[in-house]
Amino acid sequence: MPDEEVLEEGVLNPLKPEIQDPLLREILEENDLQADPSRDPLEQPAPLPDPDEVVDCVVIGTGAGGAPLLARLAMAGLKVVALEAGPWHDPRKDFATDEKAQSFLFWNDERLSAGQDPISFGRNNSGKGVGGSTLHYTAYTPRAQDDDFHLHRDFSVGVDWPIGYDDLEPYYDELEHFLGISGPANYPWGPTRRRSYPLAPLPLNGAAQLMQRGCEQLGIKTSPAANAALSARYYQEGVGWREACTNRGFCQAGCNNGAKASMDVTFLPLAADHGADIRPNSYVTEIERDASGAITGVVYQQNGITLRQKCRNLFLCAGAIETPRLLLLNELALSSGQVGRNFMGHTGVQVWGTFAEDIRPYKGIPGALISEDTHRPKDADFAGGYLLQSIGVMPVTFASQAARARKLWGQAGRDYMRNYNNIAGINILGDCLPHESNFMELAEEKDGRGVAKPRVHFTAQENEQRMTAHAENIMRRIWEAAGATDIWAFPRYAHIIGTARMGHRGTDAVVDANGRAFDVPNLYISDNSTFPSALSVNPALTIMALSLRTADKFLEKERRRDL
Amino acid sequence: MASPHYPEGTVRALLATDLVTDATRAALQARLDAPLYEPQYLDGATYEMLRAVAARLFPQPDRPDNPIELAAAIDERLLNGESDGWRYDILPPDREAYKLGLGGIRESAQAMFGNNFLVLTDEQKDEVLTAVQHAKAPGETWKTLSAVRFFEELLAELTENYYAHPLGQEEIGYVGMADVPGWHHIQLNELEPREPEAEVK
Repeated sequence: MPDEEVLEEGVLNPLKPEIQDPLLREILEENDLQADPSRDPLEQPAPLPDPDEVVDCVVIGTGAGGAPLLARLAMAGLKVVALEAGPWHDPRKDFATDEKAQSFLFWNDERLSAGQDPISFGRNNSGKGVGGSTLHYTAYTPRAQDDDFHLHRDFSVGVDWPIGYDDLEPYYDELEHFLGISGPANYPWGPTRRRSYPLAPLPLNGAAQLMQRGCEQLGIKTSPAANAALSARYYQEGVGWREACTNRGFCQAGCNNGAKASMDVTFLPLAADHGADIRPNSYVTEIERDASGAITGVVYQQNGITLRQKCRNLFLCAGAIETPRLLLLNELALSSGQVGRNFMGHTGVQVWGTFAEDIRPYKGIPGALISEDTHRPKDADFAGGYLLQSIGVMPVTFASQAARARKLWGQAGRDYMRNYNNIAGINILGDCLPHESNFMELAEEKDGRGVAKPRVHFTAQENEQRMTAHAENIMRRIWEAAGATDIWAFPRYAHIIGTARMGHRGTDAVVDANGRAFDVPNLYISDNSTFPSALSVNPALTIMALSLRTADKFLEKERRRDL
Repeated sequence: MASPHYPEGTVRALLATDLVTDATRAALQARLDAPLYEPQYLDGATYEMLRAVAARLFPQPDRPDNPIELAAAIDERLLNGESDGWRYDILPPDREAYKLGLGGIRESAQAMFGNNFLVLTDEQKDEVLTAVQHAKAPGETWKTLSAVRFFEELLAELTENYYAHPLGQEEIGYVGMADVPGWHHIQLNELEPREPEAEVK
């Protein structure tokens, strides 16, 4: 192999070499324009934003953290602009029922995974495109319970949240009805609710029936789960009718009929309807400040053109890796020393088994059945707890996991996969404690844009290991009781949490309980990075609840200023 | 449990119907109809190594004339500098990891059997690959490249390519792509007419 082909050290995707000389860069850009006039801004169909216009708010990211507050701020009459790194899709036309073809939904800019339990990103975590990772979330929407917010109070580990369940309850209620959550009339766990879920639960698929059977024999209570996918046609204010779920089982690779409450079919059309300007393919590179340290605007790249948008307030909603990455790259809000620290991933061990029954794990909502009986297990030797979920699975995802965990190949690998239609899984979603050895930092290695890649260190600590062992034991017993053979476990950590946590003081937290940065008066963060602890439930609903709350607190403050 | 076998031709037949959306058909048909591939990123010898390794990790004695091509998508991905969003920090960038790792397998084959990997018997090849998978393979390469993680990444990528192919999906009885009417029979042992039943051979 010729030496020239060997990569420059530390560079993965040298799509284009970085040109350091500004004059040369300008000349090359002009040449590019002559060669390809469609790249000329003047040839673009959409008018360029006025570089001098100052909008009230810029929101970076259109996922569960950015979209709800974007709608709230637009509805309050503010001039708001959302910048989304990925494109605006037309799911009906563009989304294939094919995992590989759908990989454009994932945040595929490479992240470096370090530590004893390296976290997998890509399909396992962040998303790209208008709607962010809600385009590929499983749509599991349990509420956190009150004690989830007080691990330190109850167990003397981790930290407590500066807010509790009562602060979020009105938002949980609002969201469940706005999004059209399907769930049981009487949810068996957690505080009493003011209203039932607006829609009946989605039907149980094979994996859910098997988990129900196994749990029944062990005396573990189960319930149809709460899912942000419609069990019936639903009319949503400001958006219109959304169609019911067709049991396609493809939530994690994109819903193609709008049944799943991703942000692109819920809060974002509502926001646009109230004047929000949502700009796709807009990748933010710089956050600008004045002499006092207040943010004045952002610089972003859209379709190869560098643009600036001035703003009075900035809402950073890019998720628990890109949010701290932008803060670190811009040396912003760093005085607490907590940016990038306290990285957490939910314990998410899966247990798989083979059954005599025909299951067809590609059908039905993946997470149809839940149990929160393990929220605070009596025999626990760890802090916090977890919930149990049945899981459906798409073939490529399953095969890939089986290859990694079971290490099967050759004829043995093909033989095992032939059982796909008879395989069902259960997994947990459990708490994770912040730890000093788990953090995100900027690596020396650069991405295709010449920006430092994020490196994420994660090593499961004693609490996570004990919880995982406890859960694996229970799930193996459930599967044995349900009649499974060839049972195996896939250790796994899902979701990305922490890295810019909220707290009472700027000495040990990045933002306050309202999401406002202690260091920068007009900077807010709204996404999973502000979580002080992981919570023992899937994060999406809580991210959205915090997003609405941050918008309301911001609007209250603005109104006080007006008086 | 004996491995179920599903009838051949199921997926190919479904792709021709309106049970499949245009976007889905486009993705799957392109893989079925993929033309003969010439490597564009890896040099000829390294690409042949990749194909030889793939042929052991996914032996296809049932398709002697036209096995599912698993190496092409890897070469194309490396050429385009595409990533799946992450990599083990202990591995070098993917392009480098593939070149180093395939070179390492060649080196281990020499050390274990005094011969080129390509000319070893299937049993010998499997012995080399097993040694690499369990970090027991000899060779300078593995002193700086994690054999376990390289093998895991290689196997995962080949596996994803195999089961993304319509024939790989057909083999496991997967017809989730035929979802235009939605699924109504989703409980245990409930099948739609378009879902094939397994025969145990």
